[in-house]
Parts: sequence; structure tokens; C-alpha cells
Amino acid sequence: MASNRLRWTIAAGVLLCLFGGGVFFVLTEPAPLVSSDLPSHTADVERGKLLYTIGGCISCHKPPAEAKVENPTLPSGGKPLATPVGTLYPPNITPDPQTGIGKWSALDFINAVHLGISPQGRHYIPAFPYASYHRMPLQDVIDLQAYVSALPAVKSTPTAPVTSLPSFVRRGIGLWKKLALSDVPFAPDAAQSPSWNLGAYLVNAPGHCGECHTPRNIFMVPDERRHLAGAPHPEGKDKVPSLRNLVGRGRYTDVDDLTSAMRFGEMMGYDRLSSGGMGDVQANLAKLPEDHVRAIAEYLVSLK
Amino acid sequence: MKNSVLASVAFACVLGFTSIALAGPIEDRQELMKANGQTMKLLGGMAQGESPFDAAVVKEQGEAMAARFEKAKTLFPPGSEQGPPETYAKPEIWSDPDGFAAAANKAVEASQAVAAVTEAAQLGPALGAAGEACKGCHDKYRRPKD
Repeated sequence: MASNRLRWTIAAGVLLCLFGGGVFFVLTEPAPLVSSDLPSHTADVERGKLLYTIGGCISCHKPPAEAKVENPTLPSGGKPLATPVGTLYPPNITPDPQTGIGKWSALDFINAVHLGISPQGRHYIPAFPYASYHRMPLQDVIDLQAYVSALPAVKSTPTAPVTSLPSFVRRGIGLWKKLALSDVPFAPDAAQSPSWNLGAYLVNAPGHCGECHTPRNIFMVPDERRHLAGAPHPEGKDKVPSLRNLVGRGRYTDVDDLTSAMRFGEMMGYDRLSSGGMGDVQANLAKLPEDHVRAIAEYLVSLK
Repeated sequence: MKNSVLASVAFACVLGFTSIALAGPIEDRQELMKANGQTMKLLGGMAQGESPFDAAVVKEQGEAMAARFEKAKTLFPPGSEQGPPETYAKPEIWSDPDGFAAAANKAVEASQAVAAVTEAAQLGPALGAAGEACKGCHDKYRRPKD
């Protein structure tokens, strides 16, 4: 009798594990796009360049000063990032076939940026901010691909892969994606001006400001109730400031002031956009057309 | 009556001087950086064409900024790592004194280069370089401000 019950218990346990494993397997399965999922769109390289700039690709993928590569302004692989799951090496995303992404198809690139799935069909660790990039319409990702694939190829020294991440953890990122990747693409707010909507798009999709400025919940998903309200610094120490109520808190006087701060930074005596990694971001912002920076300022200043 | 006025003036003076003397290095360096920010803002406006180019002002402001950065080197003594008042100085200032001194020297040199500007067209690039010096140091040695 007792042994019978034990047998049932074990059987039920085994079945539950198998079922759980099966559910895990199904839920975490990477599901890349196929060619027929792509809209017909003629790539706009100029727009791709704009998205590359606001996307801040260069900030993580640029070689460290000590690397001494021939052209340090190209994204030939960035300095190692220490993350809770191990050290990451932002790869060479120039079109070098051996050390860069020269062998990738356009579809490979789109799956990487839009869904965080590698050409080998594995989930990328979300230090690569694809949860934000996911909000970009595919047309924009196609434009970005056209620009990045036309950059000069740089041969880099291959870096070590992530070592400390067991494969089931990487697979488990699939579960996180179920929570973090919104299936609702960016939609303009008809009650707001075109400029405000441009700013909202740049901030929340390619600009991925929320990756650092929005605090995360226990599932490491940005808590949108506290959108851009400030968060612990991803590198462990210090805080990332809030972007809400910037005028009310006396950080900037108005949209003009914040626009100048983002365009000129320290060159005009604005010292807040230099620390904690924001200096690189401001350097990118400075390269945008003025109306785009103003749009970002207009959107940010509207956040109370 | 006259005496009491004199006494209160004297008292106010003493109070004023004491508070200046009592202001610690944190207050001093924050005031100094604020003044440098104002210089950059003033000259930046000139570079943007918001105010007319004036070589004499550029020279005076650039020299003042260089002198302030020279002084700034003395305003991070041991013991001033933490406030009050709240300071955003990073511990790296004290753990990497050579790197910090190099960054400060860069700011002095960039300010001297601003002071040496004689034509409007040179001002933008000189301020750009000075801005990079500010930024380089703030990136490495200052915490993000909320």
C-alpha cells in the first residue's frame, strides 16, 4: 500500500518534471522571423545612419582606447561589460567576414536586433538592448541593416565568448522575452504634436533610454509605471537619474535649455550629461539633427 | 546708536569672514566648478553667435578658468571624500591621484588654449576641446548627479 503510494508519487513527480521541462522547452524556443515576414521596403541608408546614431551602437561596440585599431570610430568590438551573468564582449559589427558580421544575411541582422536571436538560433543576453529595439518597425531595422552593412570592414582580434552561462540559462532568456518584448509596436499619440511623437519614438525605441533610466521589477523587466524615473546604475554602484519632471525639479529651465544641454554638453557649461556613461550618449545626441534633439527634449520635459 | 551700528557691522564682517574661512574644500570646489560652468556658458554663447565675439573677454575668461582649474587641484585633499554637503566626487580621485592630476592638467591646458583664441572661428573648436576635458574628468571621477 505504502510502496504503491510512493510509486505513484515518484511517477507523478517524474511526469511533472517532464511536463515542466516540455513547457519550458516550448516557451523558450527561439522563433526567428523568416523572409516572408519582412515587409517590402527599399532601405533608406540615411535613415539607417540616423537610427545607428540615436541607437548609440558605437557606444558599446567601439574599441577601447588602448586597443589601437586602425579606425577607432568604427564599431569593431567594445570593451568588456561586467554583468551578473558573466563578462560580455560587445562584438565587431562591421562587415568583416571573419571577425565581424560580414557573413550575416539581412534577415540574420533583423532577427538579432528585432528579436535578440543570433544567426545560430540562440537568445542574446539582453545587455544588448533588443527589448527596446523591438519597438522599432521592421522598416527601420531594414534601414539600420543597410547602413551597418555598408560600413567599412574592420578586422578585429576575436574575444573570448561568455563562459559562465549554462545553456539552460541562456535558453531561459526566452521566458524573459515573453515578459519584456512587447508585441505592440510604437504607436504615435494623436493628442500630441508630431515633434513630441518623434521624441517619444526616439527615446523609447532606438534610443533605449529606459534600459538604464527605468527601474526593473523582480523579473528584470522595466517597470513602466515608473517609466524613466531613475534606477540603480547597471554597473552596480551609483544611481541613474530620473528623467521625470526635469523642469519642475530645476534640472533644466525649459525645452530650449535641455535641447542645448543635449547638443552641446560641457562645451556650453552643461555638466550633467557627462557622468556614469552618459558622456558617450551625449556625444551621439550631438550628431543628431537639431529638430530631433528638440523632439527628444519636448517629450522628456512633458514627463511629470 | 552709532556704536551699535558699528558693532553690528563689525559683527557681520566677522561672521562673513568666518563663514568663508569655515567653508570646506567641498564647498570651494563646487563654487569653482560652477564658475567654470558659467564661463563655458558665456563663451559658448559667443561661439554660437548669440553674443558678439570679444577677444578681450575670451582671454580674461580663459585665463580665469585656467587659474581656477589650477586651484581645483588643491581642493580635493584627503578627508574631503565625503560631505556634507553632498559631493559627487568618486573615490577614484584619491585612489588614482596620477590619473586625476593628468585630467586636471588637461583642463588647465585646454583653458589656456581658450584664452589664446584671437579669432571668432577658433573659439568653437577651442571650447569643444575644453568641453572634452571637462567631460573626460567628469566621466571618470564624478558620480552621476541626480
